Amino acid sequence: MLLPTTTLLLLTLAGVPVQAAPQAATPALPIALERRLAERLGARVGDTLAVGREAGAPEGRAVVTAIYEPAADPSVITRRDLHARFHLPDFTALLGAPDRVDRFGVGLAPGVPPDSAARELNRIAFGFQASPSAEIASESSQTFRVVSRFHDAIAIISVVASAIFLLCIMLLKVEERRRDAAVMRFTGIRRRTIFAALLLEAVLVAALGSAMGVGLALVAGAATNAYYQRFFDTTLIFSAVTPGILRFSVLLSLGLGLGAGALAAWRLVRTRPLVLWGRE
Amino acid sequence: MPLLVATALTKDYPMNGEVVHALRGVSLTVAPGDYVAIVGPSGCGKSTLLQLLGGIDTPSAGSVALEGTRLETLGDSALTRLRLTRLGFVFQRFHLLPVLSAAENVELPMAEAGLPRDARRARARELLRYVGLEGRAGHRATQLSGGEMQRVAIARALANRPALLLADEPTGELDAATGRGILDLFRRLNDDGATIVVVTHDDRLAGEAGRVIHMLDGHIVDETRGAGR
Repeated sequence: MLLPTTTLLLLTLAGVPVQAAPQAATPALPIALERRLAERLGARVGDTLAVGREAGAPEGRAVVTAIYEPAADPSVITRRDLHARFHLPDFTALLGAPDRVDRFGVGLAPGVPPDSAARELNRIAFGFQASPSAEIASESSQTFRVVSRFHDAIAIISVVASAIFLLCIMLLKVEERRRDAAVMRFTGIRRRTIFAALLLEAVLVAALGSAMGVGLALVAGAATNAYYQRFFDTTLIFSAVTPGILRFSVLLSLGLGLGAGALAAWRLVRTRPLVLWGRE
Repeated sequence: MPLLVATALTKDYPMNGEVVHALRGVSLTVAPGDYVAIVGPSGCGKSTLLQLLGGIDTPSAGSVALEGTRLETLGDSALTRLRLTRLGFVFQRFHLLPVLSAAENVELPMAEAGLPRDARRARARELLRYVGLEGRAGHRATQLSGGEMQRVAIARALANRPALLLADEPTGELDAATGRGILDLFRRLNDDGATIVVVTHDDRLAGEAGRVIHMLDGHIVDETRGAGR
């Protein structure tokens, strides 16, 4: 497990100020710029930049060899950091501290367990701490887990409130049919026929509602993504309507509609026709 | 053999802690082909009597027999079936299902009775032609006028070839001219052999009937002859 010398390190630009510089005779370091940084500097591939440890104190030149789109990372999105990448030897030389790095990644050979590798590294470590990437990801995701639990709680409250609302609507809709149901009973239509008709109507309404809900979710998700991707200038997906979510939502909606419809219809057909008619 | 025999019907309702005597021992016989009008002031028990005759409600005492079958001996399912196949109801406010077309409203009782689709469509067409609404078969109930809705309701009541047609104020929601059309339709139905019992405030409708039964305070107080059979 050796540190690959060609590894490109991700570094914040705060420690490495860059600015556009005229061409000079000394060899320029290769540098890769994050797209947003390149856009802010107005730099393109082939341009030469002055780089240094402090702002306004250029110590060398770098030529832009690549402009890259960084991997979307929700944990840093609000920090608005801008990044550039050097080859490690160039970077350490630029910093004047060849034996100092803040972070670096270690690639493991296939089959090597990260936990045992980290333990082994920590056993011999001096001045650094090795952690498996999964552990780091888990720690950095704590905030999102809490947010996710809030979302779950909001979703559950919404579903329960919607179910109650739906039931009330179905009961009211069925109440409007009291006289129709009474007339149907008077004219010899069986309870089960009326029940089935009301249930079918409830399912159709629920299916229509589901379709509209799916459409609304897709549109709202697309609008949310469009707004925040533009706001944060990122490719992160802020709202994902997955097939699993769609399946769950549609099934839940149909189930609730069916349940509410069945309850309302059962209540109606159990009532005596003359009571429905309003005489009693 | 009489089609309908009602014997000593009484109906009491509890209301605000008191008992209201809606019917006090009403007896009535209807023969096949009769056209009977029941008249009287509001609250005299006309509609209650019609509900008992139609098996919609049960009497406090007395009995109703239709074609020899005593209604009080029937369970809910059998009574429902009897209302479906042997009785036709026409209501004051039509009560068609608004989401269905005129033809579908007429087909509904036939579908419930298990009639094949082709047969019930043909019967619905025939009935709508009979009531003069052949060209309105595909229109929804909400697209029809009051008179047209009542004609559809009559066609619906006739769908399963009932032995007895019961009508509660069938012209009560209609203007004079439209009501006249319904009177003519009832007249024609009776001429074609239908047995009709109609509750009405409408003197013209009562005058069309063969028998006019006068009620007061839950009693039949008189029976007179009308212009019809």
